[in-house]
Amino acid sequence: MSKQGKKETDSVILSQAESVASPALTDPKESPAPEAAKVSAITEMVHLIVFKLGAEDYAIKIDQIKEVTVTPSITRMPRTPGFVKGVANIRGDIIAIMNLEERFGIRQVAEQEGAGSGVTYTLVIEAKEYSIGVIVREMPQSLNLAVSKIDKTPAFLQDINVHENYIEGIAKVDNRLIIVLDMYRILTSDEISQLSV
Amino acid sequence: MKSREQEYKEIFIAEALEYYDALNRHISVLEKNPQDDQALAETFRLLHNLKANAKAIGYLQISDVSHKLETAFSLIRSKELSFSQEVVAVLFDGIDLLGDLITNIDNDTYGEPDPVLMRNLDIIVDSLSDSTIELAKVQKYNTAKSLSLSDLIYIPIKKLDHMLNLVGELMIDRDRIISLSRELDNDELKNVSSHLYRITEDLQYSVMGARLVNIGSLFNKFPRIVRDIAIAENKEVNLVLEGQDIQIDRNILQIITDSLLHLVRNAVNHGIESAAERVKKGKPSTGQLSLIARNDRDNVIITLEDDGKGIDLKQVRDAAIERKLIMPDVAKALPDTEMLSFLFEPGFSLAKEVTEFSGRGVGLDVVKNAIDSMGGRISINSVKGKGTTFILQLPTSIAVKGALLFEVDNIFYAIPLIHTEQVVAITTDELHEVGEVMVADIKGETVTVVYLHELLNAEEADMRLGDKSKLKGQIQNIIVVSYNNRKLGLIVDKLYRQQDIVIKPLSKPLDTIDLYGGVTLLGTGKVCLVLDVPAITRFFITRR
Repeated sequence: MSKQGKKETDSVILSQAESVASPALTDPKESPAPEAAKVSAITEMVHLIVFKLGAEDYAIKIDQIKEVTVTPSITRMPRTPGFVKGVANIRGDIIAIMNLEERFGIRQVAEQEGAGSGVTYTLVIEAKEYSIGVIVREMPQSLNLAVSKIDKTPAFLQDINVHENYIEGIAKVDNRLIIVLDMYRILTSDEISQLSV
Repeated sequence: MKSREQEYKEIFIAEALEYYDALNRHISVLEKNPQDDQALAETFRLLHNLKANAKAIGYLQISDVSHKLETAFSLIRSKELSFSQEVVAVLFDGIDLLGDLITNIDNDTYGEPDPVLMRNLDIIVDSLSDSTIELAKVQKYNTAKSLSLSDLIYIPIKKLDHMLNLVGELMIDRDRIISLSRELDNDELKNVSSHLYRITEDLQYSVMGARLVNIGSLFNKFPRIVRDIAIAENKEVNLVLEGQDIQIDRNILQIITDSLLHLVRNAVNHGIESAAERVKKGKPSTGQLSLIARNDRDNVIITLEDDGKGIDLKQVRDAAIERKLIMPDVAKALPDTEMLSFLFEPGFSLAKEVTEFSGRGVGLDVVKNAIDSMGGRISINSVKGKGTTFILQLPTSIAVKGALLFEVDNIFYAIPLIHTEQVVAITTDELHEVGEVMVADIKGETVTVVYLHELLNAEEADMRLGDKSKLKGQIQNIIVVSYNNRKLGLIVDKLYRQQDIVIKPLSKPLDTIDLYGGVTLLGTGKVCLVLDVPAITRFFITRR
């Protein structure tokens, strides 16, 4: 767990991550195809960072993300909830690293494709009150989208647990369904206080 | 200490010059509008303070002139002296004279104040408004006044906090660079980094020094407070202060202010007996209360001692048993010091009546929490009938602390030295399983010992704190920590060195985890968790 990552040095800041994103895609049908969304300049656009949790696509607005980096070495913190993986030193800042799959109870997909290089990425997210790092398995992609493509109040949101109000909306792009998260609500205040065991 | 005196003097001059500026401002207002009560009151206050300060430090001329001016303004306030042209001229001259005296404190050749002006001041003070005596013209000796700015500046403590944080970050990076220079084995880099080391160290001490204040700035408030409580309680108390010139970080002093106030109130209210009661017991009728500060290596020790009735251990024991904090049979065998530590439990109070000054449910636990929060320690000694002593051990600075580094399950940890008692290595055979815990005889004392790996990393459901078989190896390194008069031995996997560390507080959302007082970055860039001894002790007690 605490293997000293020389990889820290090849962490990428966001602007680079974006440019790398498209060519790094292995599966062409997963392409976000930003060109498809017509740059008509009139429609209001939103820039999302898309990543996989379990088998689904999730996204966060880019202005809530500070950087994307190869996951640095994480120091486990005993006696914290399971989804808190520990803390990491990211450019001198000590940041709590979380596993959202565990946080949301998302079933993990067995790793088989790509022989599991073991490399994971960390999205450093700056929410109003806190910054956290979120671990994702695949290189996140960037996606430009018309705001109108995000369905803010899909009917099913009323059906699911009221506690799960971290979902801001659902975007549908080329047969893909992307769950847009509201990072400000990723941790409820209950959970924050629950951290103090 | 000459430098200390010099510092007092500089502070006095800076303050006095500020008063002088303010006086000029107010008197100019008054000249235009003599009815401005606020300006008048302010002028009066400034002169009064200046008089007192000058007298305290021994500048009698300044205090004399301030006194005369103060009298004049008090006459104006009581309408016995009118704010006429002539009077105003004399007052302006008087204030200018004050300014001159202040700026010439160090100038031995300055000589005596102008006698004509002094006489004029006497005239307006002594002979009231019906005076017909001519006010002699004072030759304007102050036409070519030069403007000067004060040598001292006020800095908001927030700015200093920010600077100290930056210095902390710098030190972390410095350690990283030094460790890299060793790895790379580059002589030039080594030279530069050792120079960097010295500079950052100087910088650290300068910033820490800039935040230091005299403990007297808090202590000196107590004579009045003690007097007031003593009178309200109809008691005789003599307060002795010592070590007012010991220096401590301003924020630490801020944090202990309420705690110390609480302890002092307690001492007068519940500690010291009434004069009659004292005489009956064969004690002098006046109770003694002493508040003493002294330096102890990197720490400041504050002792508050009274010669009052002391704490009745039996009462504490009964209360602890009644509140189910301890089993009766265990209570019987518990050493006195440990028994007394129950006084720091939340809501634990022996006070039977609420007085105006204390006993309102704010207990010693609040005091303890405040001291804990900055990494200090508090302990209590008491002999029934003889008195009670509180000992506060405080760090001089918040940011940098000596700490012991160690490893448990491949994670680096640190414990601040202020909480460590000793470090011992014993064999597993010397550990004994007693009930649900392990104990060991450490230098003649039976100490509860816990395997930190088990306490931190075992599944909570099957944590076995009393199971020796969980230990690895034959030799166990134990760090004995102490909290609330209770000792606890922590078995660690690997013991490293003692080192000054800069503790970075955990940021949200982790800041609510009280098991960790923060983190620090080691020279290798690795994160090291700083264990909070009070929290780990509490955690142990609840899991036992």
